[in-house]
Amino acid sequence: MYSDLIHALPDVFALTNFAAVIIGVIAGIVVGAMPGLSATMAISVLVPFTFGLEPLVALGLMAGIYNGAMYGGAIPAVLLRIPGTPAAVATTFDGYPMAQKGEGGFALQVAVVSSALGGIASAFALMLLAPPLSRVTLLFGPSEVFWVAVFGLASIIFLLGGNPIKGLISACFGVFVSVVGSDPIYGNDRFTFGQLEMLDGINIVILLVGLYALPPVIDLLETPLKTDGVNSTKLGTESLWKALPKMKGFGMTWVRGSLIGIWIGILPGAGGSMAAFMSYNEARRTSKNPDAWGEGEPEGVAAAETANNADTASALIPALTLGIPGTAVAAVMLGGLLVHGLQPGPMLFRDNPDIVFGFMWQFLFGAILLVLLGGSLATNSFARLLNLPRPLLGSVIIVLMLIGVYSIHGRMFDVYLMLGFGAVGWVMDKLKFPLPPVVLGLILGGFAEENLRLALRIGRGDWMVLFQNTTSLVLVALTIAVIVGPTLKKRYIDSRKAA
Amino acid sequence: MLNIVKKATIAGLMSLTAGAALAEYPEKPIEVIVGYSAGGGTDVMARTAAPFIEKYLGEGASIVVKNMPGASGQIGVTEAANADPDGYTLGTFNLPGMMARTIDREADYDRDSFTYLANVVNDPNVIVTSKGSGLDTLDKLIADAKENPGAITVAMSSLGGDDHFALIKLQNATETEFTIVPFKGSAPARTALLGGHVAMGILNISEVAEFQDQLNVLGVATTERSQFAPDLPTFQEQGLDLVNGSMRGFIAPAGLPEDVQAKLMDAFTQLKDDQEFLDAMAATANPVEIVTGEEFRQLTSDLYDLANSVWQATPWN
Amino acid sequence: MSESRKPRLTRPETLTAIGIILVAAGFLIPTVDLRPISALLPAAMLIGLIVLSVFLLLADQRKAKAGEDAAPMTKSPKRVLGAFGLIVAYAIATDFLGFYPSTAVTIPLVAWIFGYRSPIGLLIATVIVVGTIWAIFDFGMSQDFPAGRLWDR
Repeated sequence: MYSDLIHALPDVFALTNFAAVIIGVIAGIVVGAMPGLSATMAISVLVPFTFGLEPLVALGLMAGIYNGAMYGGAIPAVLLRIPGTPAAVATTFDGYPMAQKGEGGFALQVAVVSSALGGIASAFALMLLAPPLSRVTLLFGPSEVFWVAVFGLASIIFLLGGNPIKGLISACFGVFVSVVGSDPIYGNDRFTFGQLEMLDGINIVILLVGLYALPPVIDLLETPLKTDGVNSTKLGTESLWKALPKMKGFGMTWVRGSLIGIWIGILPGAGGSMAAFMSYNEARRTSKNPDAWGEGEPEGVAAAETANNADTASALIPALTLGIPGTAVAAVMLGGLLVHGLQPGPMLFRDNPDIVFGFMWQFLFGAILLVLLGGSLATNSFARLLNLPRPLLGSVIIVLMLIGVYSIHGRMFDVYLMLGFGAVGWVMDKLKFPLPPVVLGLILGGFAEENLRLALRIGRGDWMVLFQNTTSLVLVALTIAVIVGPTLKKRYIDSRKAA
Repeated sequence: MLNIVKKATIAGLMSLTAGAALAEYPEKPIEVIVGYSAGGGTDVMARTAAPFIEKYLGEGASIVVKNMPGASGQIGVTEAANADPDGYTLGTFNLPGMMARTIDREADYDRDSFTYLANVVNDPNVIVTSKGSGLDTLDKLIADAKENPGAITVAMSSLGGDDHFALIKLQNATETEFTIVPFKGSAPARTALLGGHVAMGILNISEVAEFQDQLNVLGVATTERSQFAPDLPTFQEQGLDLVNGSMRGFIAPAGLPEDVQAKLMDAFTQLKDDQEFLDAMAATANPVEIVTGEEFRQLTSDLYDLANSVWQATPWN
Repeated sequence: MSESRKPRLTRPETLTAIGIILVAAGFLIPTVDLRPISALLPAAMLIGLIVLSVFLLLADQRKAKAGEDAAPMTKSPKRVLGAFGLIVAYAIATDFLGFYPSTAVTIPLVAWIFGYRSPIGLLIATVIVVGTIWAIFDFGMSQDFPAGRLWDR
C-alpha cells in the first residue's frame, strides 16, 4: 500500500515541481500576512490559472500556499493584533503582548518553528492514514455521508463560544445560506429571487471574504491614524540558532498541538481556528503558570501555531478519500484537483498514485521549507510591509478583496453579495456572534441535506434507511457522544468538586 | 499565454487602422463563451478545438475562451444568445441541457436564438449495474424491473439531463418503472454504484470506460459501437431501440452576416476530417461526432420536442 | 424615570434580534410554494432563527431592565459609515467605470480621507499596487477585470 508513496518521490523533486512549492510557500506567507486575504481566497483565485500547468506544479503551489498562509497569519497577529487569517486569532493572545514587550522577533520564531512542526506532523498523518481509509470509503453511501455531515455539524458545539444562543443563531444562518440556490434533487429555485447567479448556491469564498475580511478593514479605518503596531526595527530578532534553545520546554505543547490539529482537521467542518483554540486552552490548562498566559507567554504562541498548521494536510484526508472537504480551504483545493481531472474518492489512489502521493510529499516539504523561508530575514521584510500606515493598508486590502471575489466567477454580482455579507459580518463581529459556526453551517448544511434527500430516494421515502447499517449506527453514536460528552464531563467535574 | 496577448494586441491594432467595412472577418479576436468553469468537459472541448478553428479561419484569426460558469451553463449560453451577431462572440452549447432549461426554467433564449455551427462531441449513454445487484444482462434487468416496478434504484447525474431522458426512453420502450436517484454530477453517482448503494446507473461512456471491471456495463445507446469500448454491444444489437447521449458543440447568436456565417461554417466543417483534432479529442476522452449547420439545428429541435413531451407527461421539478 | 435612562428598544442587540425575526419571517413566505421535503431544512432554520432571536431579545431586555448599559457598536459611527460607503462606491465605480481607473483613484482617496496625507507615499503606493496587480493578473494570467459598463456601448 505504501510502496506507491516511495514511487511518487522522484517526481516531487523535479525542478518545476519543487520550485512550485517554494513559490507557493512564499506567496502563502505574504497572503497570510495580509489581513483579509486568506489561503482559501488565494487558492480559489489560483485554480482557473492552473489549467495549463502540470498537475504537480499546480498542486505544489496550493500545498505551499496553504502551509505558508497558516504561518503568515501569525505575523500581523503578533505585530498588529490583527489575525492575518481566521486561524491566527489564538496567536494574538500571547503573541501581541510579547511584541509589546519587545519580544516580537522571538514570538515570530516560535511561530515559524511551531508551524513547521505542526505541518510536518500533519503531512505524515495524511500519508499514513489516507491510503487505508481510501479502501473503506466505498462503504459510505448517501446515508453514511449524511451522518458524517451531521457529526461535523454537531462539533459546532465546540464553537459556540460564551453565548450559546448567539452561536446557534450563527449556525442557523450558515445552514440557511447553504440552501440558497437550486434544490439538490429537483433543481427548482430556492430563495434566488430569479437571479441566475445564485442558482449554484453561494460560493464559500464570497461569504468568507465578507465575514472575515471586511470587518477588520473597517476597524483599520475606524481608528484614527496612528501606528500602534510594533516597529520592525524593535522586533528584537536574533538568529534562529540562538532562539531555538529557549524553546526546549515546548515538547509536550508541540505534540499535543499536533495531535489536536490533526484530529480537528479530519473532522469534517471544523478548521484551523478551532484547532488553535483547543490547543491553546489545553496547553494553558496543563501549564505550571497559567496566570502568565495572555501576558506574553511564548508557549501560548507555540500551542496555537502548531495546531493551526497541523490541520492543513489532515483536512485533506476526508477530502481525498470521501470527497468531503474538512475545511473551506480543502473544499477549494478539491476544485483545484478537479481542474486536472483528478476526481476525489477511492479511484484517485488507484488511477493517479504518483500525483496523489506526490501532493502529500509536497505538503511535507512545504512544511519543512517554512523554517527556511519564514526565517528571520523574510519575516522581517513581511513585517515591514505591515508597518504601512493603516489607512493605506486598509485601502489596499479593499482592492485585494474585490479582486479575490471578482475572480471566482468573473462577475460583479459576487462582489455586491460579498459587501452584503460584509455588513452582516460587521454587525456580528461587534455584537460578538461567533463566525466559525456560519462557515461550518454553510459547508456542511448543504452536504447533509443533499445526502439525506438521496438516501430517502434510495429508501423510497422510508426514513429507516438512515439506520440500516453498522457504519451509520457508529456515526450516530459518535454524534450523540459529541453533543452529550462535554455536558457529562462538566457534571462529573462538578460532582467531584462538590464531594 | 504571451502569444495570445501578442496576437490580441496585433489584432487590436489592426482593427483600429483597417477600415471596418472593407476588412475581412475575422479582424479581431473571437470570444468563445463557455458556460462552465475551467477544467470541465465543455471547457476542455472548447480549448482543444480553439487552435484548430483558428487554423481554418485563416491567417491572424485568434480565439479567446471566456468562462462564464453558473446555473448549469445557462448564464453563459444566455450571454452568447444575446450577444451582437457579428461573429466575434460564439458560445458552447450542450444538449439536451440547454433546451431542457427553456422548459424547466425561465430562459432568455429559445431554439431560434442561435446560429447552429457544429456539434462536436456526442458522449453516448450506457446502462450500468453494480456488481452486487446480480443484474448482469439487459434481459435480467428488464425482467426484474417488470416484476418489481419501482424497486430498482437508478443513479444519474441530474434531472432534466441526457441520462434522465435516456431512462424515460427506456421506461417507455420496455414499459417498466424505476426509482430515480439524481446525484450532483456523475462522479458521485458512479461512486455510489461502485459501493453498491444503488442498483443501476445511467452514465456516459467516457465516464465508465475505465471501470468495466468493477461495474456491469450492459450496453451503449448508439447506432454503432463506440471506439471507447469496442467490445460493448449497442442496445439496438440487443433488440432495444435506445439511442441517446450528451452532446456538446458551438453556436453563435442568430442573424450572423452571411459571409461571416459561411466562413465559420466552413471552418467547423473542416474539423470533421482533421485527424490531429480527432486524436486530441480522443486523448481527453471525448467521443467526437461532428454535425454541422442545418442538421445540428434539426437535432436540437428534435431534442427540444422530446424534452417538451417528457415535461408534459412527467414534469421533473 | 430619570433622564439618564437609555431607550430600551434601540439597544444594538434588541434591534438585531428584531431585524433577524423580520427578515427570517419574510423568507418563510416563499417556503410555502416549495415541496414539503424541499422546504424542510430552510423552514427549520428560519424558525430556529426566529425562536433563538426571541430568546436573544428577552435576554437583552432583561439586561436593560437590570440597568446594564448596552456597549456601543462603534465609537465613531461616521468613520464606519464613511468607510463602508466608500467601499460600496468603489465596487459600483469598478462596475461602471472600469477596474483600473477606479482602483487608481480609490487607493489614494481612501488613504487620504482616513488620514494618510503624504502625496509621494500615496503616489508610490498606488503605482506599486496597480502595477503589481496588472503584472500578475492581467499580463501573467490574462485575467480580465471589469472594463466598465458605461463605455460598453
